[in-house]
Amino acid sequence: MPEHAPAVHLRDEYETTGLGDADTGDVARRLSPWERFSNLNSVRKLTILVSLVVVWELYTRFGGISEYLLPTFSDTGAALFTALWGEHLLYMIWNSVKILLAGYVIGIGIATVLTTLAVATRFGSDLLSTLTAMLNPLPAIALLPMAMLWFGLGADAIVFTLLHSVVWPVALNMHTGFMGVSETQRMVGRNYGLRGIRYVVKLLIPAAFPSILTGMKIGWAYAWRTLIAAELVFGGAVVDTEGTGEGGLGWFIFANQMDLQIPFVFAGLFTVILVGITVENVVFRNLELRTVGRWGMQTI
Amino acid sequence: MSGAAASGGKGPDVYVRPEFVVETLGEAEIGDVERKLSGLERAWNVNGVRKATILIGLVVAWQVYTVALDVEPLMFPRFSTSAEALWLSLIDSDLLRKIWFSVSTLLIGYTTGLALSAALVLWASAQRIGADFLSTCTAMFNPLPAIALLPLAMLWFGLGTASIVFVTIHSVLWAVALSTHTGFQSVSETLRMIGQNYGLRNIRYVMKILIPAALPSILSGMKIGWAFSWRTLIGAELVFGASSGSGGLGWFIYENSQNLETAHVFAGLFTVILIGITVENVIFRNVELRTVYRWGMQR
Repeated sequence: MPEHAPAVHLRDEYETTGLGDADTGDVARRLSPWERFSNLNSVRKLTILVSLVVVWELYTRFGGISEYLLPTFSDTGAALFTALWGEHLLYMIWNSVKILLAGYVIGIGIATVLTTLAVATRFGSDLLSTLTAMLNPLPAIALLPMAMLWFGLGADAIVFTLLHSVVWPVALNMHTGFMGVSETQRMVGRNYGLRGIRYVVKLLIPAAFPSILTGMKIGWAYAWRTLIAAELVFGGAVVDTEGTGEGGLGWFIFANQMDLQIPFVFAGLFTVILVGITVENVVFRNLELRTVGRWGMQTI
Repeated sequence: MSGAAASGGKGPDVYVRPEFVVETLGEAEIGDVERKLSGLERAWNVNGVRKATILIGLVVAWQVYTVALDVEPLMFPRFSTSAEALWLSLIDSDLLRKIWFSVSTLLIGYTTGLALSAALVLWASAQRIGADFLSTCTAMFNPLPAIALLPLAMLWFGLGTASIVFVTIHSVLWAVALSTHTGFQSVSETLRMIGQNYGLRNIRYVMKILIPAALPSILSGMKIGWAFSWRTLIGAELVFGASSGSGGLGWFIYENSQNLETAHVFAGLFTVILIGITVENVIFRNVELRTVYRWGMQR
């Protein structure tokens, strides 16, 4: 054997006499009702939610926490109930949602026009990519002071900021989606004689719908954050100029915080969460199920 | 049989084209098959040139609009005035200090948020109760705009940097935890088994297998987290950034808009845009180029 060869370790041979009983687990077994019960996703999540609530309630009740720092859960629930039925909270929700919808719908319209232009001409696509690269990183809320100067203290200023927060992410994703439509599908469209606007509506939009939806979801997230921030920061100045007691959800939170009505602040936060969950898990979820899910473009 | 013929009472109309004979084929119109492009055409085909032209065109349009129509500078200042204001406040080092104030606050919040989400995700990938906890919490807190917590944070942590850091953490934590957890869960069984085959366990298993394999979705979570926290930070500073005397970029914008120094407001907006572009197109882009692109996971 050459000297430089690596040392080879030979295992000693051995014989095993009489294999011991293998440690056998059960191969198939009926799960006990308790096990089957705790295998349900919703049951486990509900348990976590309930225990979080219980911990909160116990901590605030027996931990000697000032109610101005963290109110008990029961107070918060009561405040939510009172605000919903007695204090126009529903009306305020509607105020916020109305402004949001206006900004969102107009924003998507503008984004569609910009993207159609970008698909049609090279100049349009250069313009769009320059504008998105510049304006997408600019937080919409930073424009609010300027918007208040230009449009005065009113819903217009908020709608303008919302537009800004929706247009760029939606246009960006829509354009990416349009560019990614396969050549085969484009040729099918031309073969059917689709031109101009019908080509966009019947071919490009359905084919690029997954990424359009992504853009719409990002746009919604930005718009919702911007709206709450705008109402919170300038809510009194922007919406409540006549002292009519109107205003949106952000204003509800801000005003109650100023009055140290902390349970109502928490009630406002709950409402914000509920609206957010509704839009994401009901509206967008259903839209996805009815379009990209049903068309087999995305597994949902 | 010519023209539209509808034979029989039923069945769809069948259109039969009339037959025709072409005697001589006309000369086809021939364009050039190959031609050297002129210098202008070649320059115009360069992406950077076209985009720079558009940028310059926008700036010129802005300047001409404000000068020719004599727009009230309090409402919409000229480009030259805004650029001058930017230059002056940069030299003055007042703006630089404010930028540093914002960026350092953001960094503290961002890194703390990342660390917390890493801890949460580790717990979630180790135990089922952790996964349930994570998904319940993200479902609840992800739709809640971080800025809405600002009034409470002010109450809990006082009017200072601590409350801004708190809301920044909130805006980063859930977005990153959500997409990191999704990324970890979709690491293929083959890769996992390779890791186990090498005898990797616990922290080394996570570092050497799970994180590299899930890096595309971790990175996209970090980008979303950055976008949310940058927006939250600017929003929060617009309200009470000046509490500790120095204030940040958002405060710079707010203060100048209150003083009707509109040119300085635009200078602040330029700075916000520049920082955003730097983070997105320089930092994240380079991280992506060095990791997921180089490893061939994303194109």
